Amino acid sequence: MNPNTLRRVTFWCWATVSILLTATGCSRWIEMAPPSEMLDPGAQQIARDEQVPLIIDVVHTTRNGSPQHTSVEMQQRILGSLAEIGLFSHLSSGTHVESPSNDKIVRAKILLSETIDPHAGGAAWKGIVIGASMYTLTPFLPLEYGYAANVTLELERWDGQVKRYEGRSAGTARYQLFGATPIMIEELKGHVTESCLNELAKQIIRDTAFYTASSAPISRSDIRTVSIRRLSPRTPDASSTPIPISVSAPADR
Amino acid sequence: MTSPSLAARITLAALVSTFTIPCQAEEVRPRLTVGTQEISLSAGYLLPHRLTTEHTTKQSGPALMPSWAMVLTDPIGKSFYRGQLLLGAEIVYIQFQEPFLTHGVGFTPKIKYLFEGTGRLRPYIEFAGGPFYTDLGGRIPEESSRFNFILTAGGGLSWFFTSQFSFNVGYRFHHISNAGTRMPNLGLNSSLPFGGFSFYF
Repeated sequence: MNPNTLRRVTFWCWATVSILLTATGCSRWIEMAPPSEMLDPGAQQIARDEQVPLIIDVVHTTRNGSPQHTSVEMQQRILGSLAEIGLFSHLSSGTHVESPSNDKIVRAKILLSETIDPHAGGAAWKGIVIGASMYTLTPFLPLEYGYAANVTLELERWDGQVKRYEGRSAGTARYQLFGATPIMIEELKGHVTESCLNELAKQIIRDTAFYTASSAPISRSDIRTVSIRRLSPRTPDASSTPIPISVSAPADR
Repeated sequence: MTSPSLAARITLAALVSTFTIPCQAEEVRPRLTVGTQEISLSAGYLLPHRLTTEHTTKQSGPALMPSWAMVLTDPIGKSFYRGQLLLGAEIVYIQFQEPFLTHGVGFTPKIKYLFEGTGRLRPYIEFAGGPFYTDLGGRIPEESSRFNFILTAGGGLSWFFTSQFSFNVGYRFHHISNAGTRMPNLGLNSSLPFGGFSFYF
């Protein structure tokens, strides 16, 4: 075969294979870790006058151990998830929310701990190999991005009793190079967070009776706990000498 | 007097559009996440390097480099080298004005490491390589074939005018040879200072 013809055939074969491989290198999928426990709480009915309001006092977020600002979207999402349970009459968020002291309310503290595993080292090496192969290895070298969330919810009933719930979920986005978009990461985070909040909701529903208005009487005092310290009595010093005090009666006129 | 080349016109248009972008009062911090894509256009001028006494050709001319890249990783590292890896591809077009008016075009996958820098000013280094076709080959003593390969290594600075738009300046070293597929194969070496802009989405 003429060398020029061979060169041309090689080039066109390479171009065709490249186009085919590129076209098949756009897929992506998300794998979710199985939930830690499968709960079926069943339907719970609660009368409207048995519902109490829920106030979220604080939402703390950490990412890979570092404190983060909690986004408004995340707060709204948590509120929405709790509202969907139908256990509480209304929900509000923020420390500025004031409630009458004689109301039955449930207060919540939420800790959202995110763990991101971007598999940066693997992505870097695979990227170099994909680039060196002129992208022909794109379909055979999927990339990964891991995300896990752990939500801890602490609910304090109006009488001071506290219950703690924990939901965790993890997922991995596997994608081929041309399938990567920032939306993919958002989708992964969305699925994991949703799974986490669902798990929390299931746990709360199991305790429906605990949060009904008739479950406990209201504490009439604003002060729920006081710290008492025994004062040490002032013992008289043996060496001290008593000081005589004379009191004279006022003269009658 | 020759009319300005296409590369020079595009460079001028890029510079004009860059400096006419309204400055934003708020702090610009580009947020590049995994999957963020970059398209860019750079232009420069190729300057020859004759590294041995056997090299005689003074190849020079404007170069135009449209490219695409994708952010592969979240920021990695904790020190001054903290940055993100991008993988992409580039088309290199060179109009050799010396020693003959000839052309060259190549396709090069490229790896780019974008340092975090100051947030707005982000240095980077890049490496690219791929096939390169030029009709200069066969007309000069250094290269006998038209089908060659081009290898590029260099670095630059990206100045983010907005969170999505940056102006880039940099320097690259170019090596063109045919990987020994035909003799002679001395190779052509060049410097390529360039400027351009990138759009991230």
